[in-house]
Amino acid sequence: MKAGNDILKQVARHDGMTVPDGYFADFAARMAASLEPTDFEKSADSVAASQPRHKNIWQRIRPYAYMAAMFAGVWCMLKMFTMISDPSQISLESNPTLADALTNEVFVNEYILDDIDQYDILDELYEEGYDIDALADSMMIYDQTYDSAVALPADLHNTTLMQ
Amino acid sequence: MAEFPGENPQLTERLRDPKQCRAAFAEVIASYSEPLYRQIRRMVQNHDDANDLLQNTFMKAWQNLENFRGEAKLSTWLYKIAINESISHLERERRRLTLSLDDEQSHLAHTIEADEHIDGDALAQRLRRAVATLPEKQRLVFNMKYYDDMKYEDISEILGTSVGALKASYHVAIKKIEQFFSNTD
Repeated sequence: MKAGNDILKQVARHDGMTVPDGYFADFAARMAASLEPTDFEKSADSVAASQPRHKNIWQRIRPYAYMAAMFAGVWCMLKMFTMISDPSQISLESNPTLADALTNEVFVNEYILDDIDQYDILDELYEEGYDIDALADSMMIYDQTYDSAVALPADLHNTTLMQ
Repeated sequence: MAEFPGENPQLTERLRDPKQCRAAFAEVIASYSEPLYRQIRRMVQNHDDANDLLQNTFMKAWQNLENFRGEAKLSTWLYKIAINESISHLERERRRLTLSLDDEQSHLAHTIEADEHIDGDALAQRLRRAVATLPEKQRLVFNMKYYDDMKYEDISEILGTSVGALKASYHVAIKKIEQFFSNTD
């Protein structure tokens, strides 16, 4: 062991190996130049690209403005549907013009009741199961007799009877 | 003897930063080329092979830089890669030349004889030949302890062997070297 240690002391950790002149400097330059881009390195570019750029005031508030407009639109739509489905919300107290019109008998007779189609009334009663013939005597049909109102065209009437 | 550079925490931090890693790695190459080259060459005994394996070592380190968390020392990490490359190369050579482990020792001795890149120190050359007769693991331990003067704790981390086993291995290696010198006097 002692002889072995003596030799190791004499050699003094010297391995006697050499390299060509300038080898390590050349190697470092060649090696550094030959490194291909890695995914890890590219991740820096993607992180930089995802950084927010400077935005002006409109760009910053635009999403909130769009959101507020959307909510306002939805609210108006819901309000309209509610009014259509529940007409009681249209109160006469809040609409004096309509209240005046409805208390005017002449207006109601001439502009509202007169708009009702006589044939629609007959169709409606027939569909609800009333006996039209029994009602006919008591009905006052303007401009036309009951028979002409309910009569089928001659050719259609014939076709129906033949079937 | 080329000593390993001391650990540099700032360099390690820069290696983990994708923006700075390329410049930092160029510094690593410049600092660690020589000690890694010597470690590899002491195993393969040939400049051209050592040159190729050194390139592979840095290439693998660069490609796996993302996995280097800085928990281990940079030198330990690089040493591990270099040693794995060296051992893989020796295994490939054994298969290519269909050599047994004993044949490999005489093959390495022949490679040392044929080496052109030596400084003419006869005793150093005899020691290289003596070390070449050691089994692979003892050769690694001896190279790291004797030539690189590494601490057993660092060698343990690199080779994954206990400090006690490393001390025993180094002791046996010295005995075998002494035997080699006795036999060749």
